[in-house]
Amino acid sequence: MSAERGAKKVRNRFLTVLAIISFAVFLQQAPNLLDGYKIRIMNMIAINAILGLSLNLIYGMAGMFSLGHAGFMAVGAYVSALLILTPAQKTAMWILDPIAPWLLGVHAPFLISILAAGLAAAFFGWLISMPVLRLGGDYLGIATLGFSEILRILITNLTPITNGPLGLKGIPAHTNLRVSYGILLVTLFCTVRLMKSNFGNVIKAVRDDETAARTMGINTFQTRVLAFTIGCFGAGVGGALMGNIITTIDPRMFTINQTYNTLMIVVIGGLGSITGSVVGSVLVTVMLEWLRFVENPIMIGSTQLFLSGKPGMRMVIFSLLLIGVIIFRREGVMGMKEFSWDRLFSFFSRQRGDAA
Amino acid sequence: MRKVILGVLICMFACGAAFAADDVIRIGFFNSLTGQNAFGGQLELEGVQLAMKEIPEIIGKKVELVIVDNKSDKVESANAVTRLIENDKVSAIIGSYGSSLTMAGSEVAEVGRVPLLTTSSTNPLVTQDKKFTFRACFIDPQQGAGAATYAIRTLGYKKAALLVDVANDYSVGLAAFFRNSFVKLGGEIVSDMRYNSGDQDFTAQLTEIISKEPDVVLLPAYFAEGAIILKQARELGAKFRFMGGDAMDNPEMVTLAGEAIEGFIYTGFAYAPDMPDMNPVAAKFTELWKKEYPGKETNANAALGYDCYMMYVDAITRAGSADPEKIRDALEATKDLPTVTGVTTLDADHNPQKDIGILEIKDGKKTFVGTVVPEM
Repeated sequence: MSAERGAKKVRNRFLTVLAIISFAVFLQQAPNLLDGYKIRIMNMIAINAILGLSLNLIYGMAGMFSLGHAGFMAVGAYVSALLILTPAQKTAMWILDPIAPWLLGVHAPFLISILAAGLAAAFFGWLISMPVLRLGGDYLGIATLGFSEILRILITNLTPITNGPLGLKGIPAHTNLRVSYGILLVTLFCTVRLMKSNFGNVIKAVRDDETAARTMGINTFQTRVLAFTIGCFGAGVGGALMGNIITTIDPRMFTINQTYNTLMIVVIGGLGSITGSVVGSVLVTVMLEWLRFVENPIMIGSTQLFLSGKPGMRMVIFSLLLIGVIIFRREGVMGMKEFSWDRLFSFFSRQRGDAA
Repeated sequence: MRKVILGVLICMFACGAAFAADDVIRIGFFNSLTGQNAFGGQLELEGVQLAMKEIPEIIGKKVELVIVDNKSDKVESANAVTRLIENDKVSAIIGSYGSSLTMAGSEVAEVGRVPLLTTSSTNPLVTQDKKFTFRACFIDPQQGAGAATYAIRTLGYKKAALLVDVANDYSVGLAAFFRNSFVKLGGEIVSDMRYNSGDQDFTAQLTEIISKEPDVVLLPAYFAEGAIILKQARELGAKFRFMGGDAMDNPEMVTLAGEAIEGFIYTGFAYAPDMPDMNPVAAKFTELWKKEYPGKETNANAALGYDCYMMYVDAITRAGSADPEKIRDALEATKDLPTVTGVTTLDADHNPQKDIGILEIKDGKKTFVGTVVPEM
């Protein structure tokens, strides 16, 4: 029995490595196979998946209803952008107030700026988690939403540092498939390891029954602070990557709508499921772009299809699909389940069994 | 049930991937057709469509307009332009209402090497150091200076106050440029008050401004907040005059603000449907608009949409080709082109030098007062 399990483990690990390598080869070839539009969408999928995973850690796995993701993304995006921009670019851009002198010479390469973005967001996350995580449920949601707005308003008004409402532009487009999927892979690996470790069990215990967890001797407050801070690190990294793909950022990008987008990905994919966040990200990102065709006039013969060609139709249909998901599959596409090779194999063998 | 839904989706996809003939020129149009900027975006679209109806063919090829919505959102803006370039293979792009949205799109256009001509993005950063980005409107430094010049030279005002939406790049920029010119021309800024987009109560700021007794208050707001501010100022018994920018140019404004808007002056593009001494292009545009959209009031945004299309008609005709790089080169050389909002000549920074129009609300109606040449 244990030998069989060992063999399965080896097989699974082999398959995982194989899948990663073949996907890497695909990414390497992607610029030849796909046009820039599809590559951009693929990049957005990876970034949304990173954001989804980090929010899922906070909301799905640790059970803390946070609406502050956009604020932490903003911190990440700004830190990364300010580190990457050259002094010449900075002087040209600050047309309202001159830039703070100490900021002018600060410069770092792209990957370091991403790391710094994550750390800065994690710091702010840690800072707010101290007072706020004593709250629970909806109150936590309100408090984090408020903090996120505070961050945004600070960014809007700290003109010498952030260029205020004018935002930053001309950020080099460093985000490419290799970077975004590389970071997604690291995020996935870390999340999976984290959830399989003892800390993962502790987080789930705190989520499911805090009193019971505390009775078992778990420091529930510390656990929640740690989970929240790690989640914010992910938000900072995601925000930085997003800034580096759009190449221009301003405070209005990071309103509550941005948080809702990420929340949607997590809920559609399945709260608490790592696979779910990735699947949710693919679904939401691809659907929103793909549904664009309904906003062009659709001709059947010589008559225009009813309601086609109206701007905004895309969002109507998308919302209907969302309502469908919520009605028919409330727990999200994946529920709390995870992808595993074993389940895939048993699924196929069952199918074959049915056929026979 | 599931099969039916799947079938419907597949059908929709099949319809979506419709093909087009080769001998067409495709012009992409990305704008805010939904979301907070939808009003301006929609008018600009109607302006473009009006121009397209007038000239449906350039250099013997039929023009096809590909319209994508950006939901007044930056990420969507970048996606929309990428789609236009990569998926729809457009030769040229007409850009968005809202400077930050245009900036997100123009970064993509620069990489894709397709010219992008923005209708009404007045932020100077939009075309700064850009090779493929152009604009049909004036820039905020000119507009701010124009307002200051008019306030001091024509109206003889000396003391001004500012009431600025700090969450809005347009508002902050315009106020800063107004302040520079106003001080330079010998005026004094007596008060500098702030608010945030979406605020509803402005009585605290207005009371403070009233106590400073300015001659004029610059209100570089969008019309939604602008109308509320005008109403509340009237209720508080304010005696000073309000001035605004082109974002207040909106037919809804008078309905929203009612009597409080009487005497309001704003700078805008040198076009209004009732302006005297209209240039021939503007007269033609107004006539076409009345025929096409009877009962709907036009404004400068629609005029700029029309101008953008006509600038491409001119550039593509001179280039003699639908190649994006050739269109870019021709567009850069645009010179003395008569357009609705004045004669268009693009300078080295791809900005036209256009007169600043001064408009005033008289007897509840938008009235074109004249133009002003800004003293910078």
